[in-house]
Amino acid sequence: MDDGVAQVSQKAFRIVLTVVVLGGALGALLAMTLRSDAQFYKHVNEVMVEPQQWYGKQLQLHGTVVDGSIQWRPNTLDRRFQVKSGDSVVTASYTGVVPDTFKDGSEVVLRGKLAADGFHVDPDGVIAKCPSRYESASPSGK
Amino acid sequence: MASFGTFLLLASFVLASGAFAASIAGARRQRTSLVAGGVGLFHAVTAVLVVASAIMIHAFVTGDYLIRYVQSHSNTAQPFFYKLASYWGGLDGSIMFWATLLAISGSAAVHINRERHRLLIPWVVTVIATVEMFFIFLMVIHNNPFETYLVSRPADGQGLNPLLQNFYMAIHPPMLYLGFVGMTIPFAFGMAALASGQLDDSWLRSVRSWTMVAWLFLSVGLALGGLWAYEELGWGGYWGWDPVENAGLLPWFTATAFLHSVMVQERRSMLKVWNVSLVIVTFFLTIFGTFMTRSGVVQSMHAFGEDRELTMMFTIFMIATLIISFGLVIYRLPLLRSRNELDSWASREAAFLVNNWVLLFSAFFVLFATMFPTLSEMVRGERLTVAEPFYNKWMVPVGLILLFLTGVGPLLAWRKSTLLNLRTQFAWPTLSGLAVTAGTFALRIPFWASGMCFALCAFVTGTILQEFIRGARVRQRATGTDVFTALVGLFARSRRRYGGYVIHLGIVLIFIGFAGKGFGRSEQALVKPGDRVVVAPFEIQYKALTVTQDAQKQMVTGEVEVTRDGKPIGHLYPAKWYYFGHETEPPTTEVALRRGPAEDLYVVLAGFEPADQSATLQIHVNPLVNWVWVGVGIMAVGTIIALLPETAFAFAAARVPGGAVTTTMLLLLLTLGSGSLRAQHVESGRTVAVVPRTPLEKDLQNQLVCMCGTCGRQKVGECTCTKAAEMREEIAKLVAEGKTHDEIVNYFIAKYHSQEVLGAPIDRGFNRLAWLVPYALGAAGIVVAGVVAIRWSRRRGLLDEEASAAPPANHELETRLDDELRDLD
Repeated sequence: MDDGVAQVSQKAFRIVLTVVVLGGALGALLAMTLRSDAQFYKHVNEVMVEPQQWYGKQLQLHGTVVDGSIQWRPNTLDRRFQVKSGDSVVTASYTGVVPDTFKDGSEVVLRGKLAADGFHVDPDGVIAKCPSRYESASPSGK
Repeated sequence: MASFGTFLLLASFVLASGAFAASIAGARRQRTSLVAGGVGLFHAVTAVLVVASAIMIHAFVTGDYLIRYVQSHSNTAQPFFYKLASYWGGLDGSIMFWATLLAISGSAAVHINRERHRLLIPWVVTVIATVEMFFIFLMVIHNNPFETYLVSRPADGQGLNPLLQNFYMAIHPPMLYLGFVGMTIPFAFGMAALASGQLDDSWLRSVRSWTMVAWLFLSVGLALGGLWAYEELGWGGYWGWDPVENAGLLPWFTATAFLHSVMVQERRSMLKVWNVSLVIVTFFLTIFGTFMTRSGVVQSMHAFGEDRELTMMFTIFMIATLIISFGLVIYRLPLLRSRNELDSWASREAAFLVNNWVLLFSAFFVLFATMFPTLSEMVRGERLTVAEPFYNKWMVPVGLILLFLTGVGPLLAWRKSTLLNLRTQFAWPTLSGLAVTAGTFALRIPFWASGMCFALCAFVTGTILQEFIRGARVRQRATGTDVFTALVGLFARSRRRYGGYVIHLGIVLIFIGFAGKGFGRSEQALVKPGDRVVVAPFEIQYKALTVTQDAQKQMVTGEVEVTRDGKPIGHLYPAKWYYFGHETEPPTTEVALRRGPAEDLYVVLAGFEPADQSATLQIHVNPLVNWVWVGVGIMAVGTIIALLPETAFAFAAARVPGGAVTTTMLLLLLTLGSGSLRAQHVESGRTVAVVPRTPLEKDLQNQLVCMCGTCGRQKVGECTCTKAAEMREEIAKLVAEGKTHDEIVNYFIAKYHSQEVLGAPIDRGFNRLAWLVPYALGAAGIVVAGVVAIRWSRRRGLLDEEASAAPPANHELETRLDDELRDLD
């Protein structure tokens, strides 16, 4: 009986040790990669309270395109527009293709970095968002 | 009709509660009459839900816009096919569809296993009825699909979301639901085994094949979802780690893990707790996935809206599931002890164990990353998100490890592999892997992005071929036939093993497709007519922009001419479609795709300016993607081989004369090689909808459907592909020749050798049957319900006699329990 208990506890110890070592290693790796890949998800007014604090940080910026603010340089894909939420407004610059939902007054999420001259959107960093019509935009529990 | 539908839903809830109560009482008191009653009631639930579904389908087909759900998901202009698909196009209907599928598969499982697992059946019914009750409850309380407008009846519906009007989208949800729902059956059997204490390996056998079926549907469903995203969303990829996609992937990981580790239990009686836990976790993840996508807990591109009440109900159900099922596992721990220990790490069971850990880690990781934004908001009060790069950083290496294990597993022996053993087994596969590695370096393919994946693919293919060749040789010597016939004999002898290898072959192809991503190219450009964009090996010249319209939508189409290595290969027509009645929504993107085994050319019209004819083009060259779909197809074939009943193969093997297989295969290859593949649905856009000149022409354009095979049977008058244009011209010609309506219809029937060309079957004679389908479904349901009710009430006397036969089984159980308990000391 004692022998059995010893055997069991030895086995349990081995299992616990494996789990701790593997789990610890993976957890540490996960934390490390998260640090570099996690992006803050902020509304424009949250960021513009103290913009300097966010300079250079990878952000996802949520806001509404200001009516009539979209401008583009002729014959290029460069665009410049303003995004607001609450009372704060920020100017964003972007080069590339925008989703069909992107127009005056639409809600957007921008992926990129903030700098003194405005928000620099990453390539393919304009994400479509149309909260009112999700219901039918989704088919299934894919 | 709508109130009758609501009544049926209520009735099904009452019946399901009855089934639950009768079964649990029958199981506890060992009363056969109660058990039979529970089963009967459960079949009645199925029948009632089938009737309710028939009513719903009927409402969609006839356009009963008084029902809110029908009004908001369908309209009269929609093609028949998408009217049907609208049933599962929204939240309420999808829950109802889900509940119906669950009832049907539950009934099937109970019926098939009624003799084999007598003692488990009442518990199985109890569990399935509980899950069924939960979903019906959701419908009745929260999302009644039969809800009607109270004041006035709208004239027309709003139409199904244009994005969902795609062939793959229409068949993808049923597949995926079958996969999700199917996972409930193994869970029910697992719970039944735990509750009844019948934990010998016999319950595993039925669980295994049910898991395999569900797994097949899940895999195919996931692939179709990817295919839809690839063709319809226009961002050039097929998998974006969106929460809704992840929800489908989570149970796939754990189910895959279970299908492997169950072999260890069968062979070596190990990992019992582990297996039963995997079954529970898989079921839990299907519910969790549904919850995630329907409650708005996780923000997603295409999740249903946020809903607190639903969140509450799901949370309660999920917590209860976890507590009860793991409670039962703990209660039955003494019966779940392993009979064996792991002998060596160089054994097949060890490889399976590692595969299980990796798969489980994948499930955990994807779950964690998907929930991360929600979790971070809860913990830090600040929303942090992770995107595709984060997933890829983790899942690419994990996927490669899994691929490697796919190769290693079959090479190792059960219990313990000897060194000699290892050397003979690993030599050829390793060599082929190394050869491909050298090849990738020679071709300057980036090693970490793609080359390593190719090398591992070669390694795995090596192991599979080696298994096939060795097995076939042995059999050839034994039976004296040719190699191919021996190969079929091999499949016949152990379907699961060789079917499994075929599945692995499919996995290899899928990974080859994944690796192609490593050297894909893409380009964006603002172009004016005549401008050229080069994306090696293609050169794309932009020609012109046209605006056309038909009954459903307005289309803006760009025309580009494509040359490859200097040789012209044709024109492509990327487009944007603006559906009428959906003006507030963005247009749909109609990708121009040129598929090929080596790469796809994928052209998107991202923006346009009609004033100066300029357009923004987004061009992707996606190498090897099509192998992903081919791989999934091969996986499906492998799964079906593994599932085939014993007799089918025994028959084939006994009757087939030597050499016949080789001949058949050659013939098959020849026919397949010569036949063209299914035509791609290319929208030409140039074809301005031909305006019908006579009433007869207009009638015909409305009655005939486009026969290109991919546009979901749209009316000729509405479809925009080149095939439809051709058919319109043909109609015009025939009308001009003075042919009558019937003559022209007959001409088309003769031309396509079937009445398929008719949008609606001729309402005459045999064809009336097609119209009868929903009614027949309803009637069948009623008949089944009646029969069950009658049989149930009549059988009671009979069953009481049978009940006296039960005690011996009981005695057996007691002796075994005794044995098990003695082992404990």
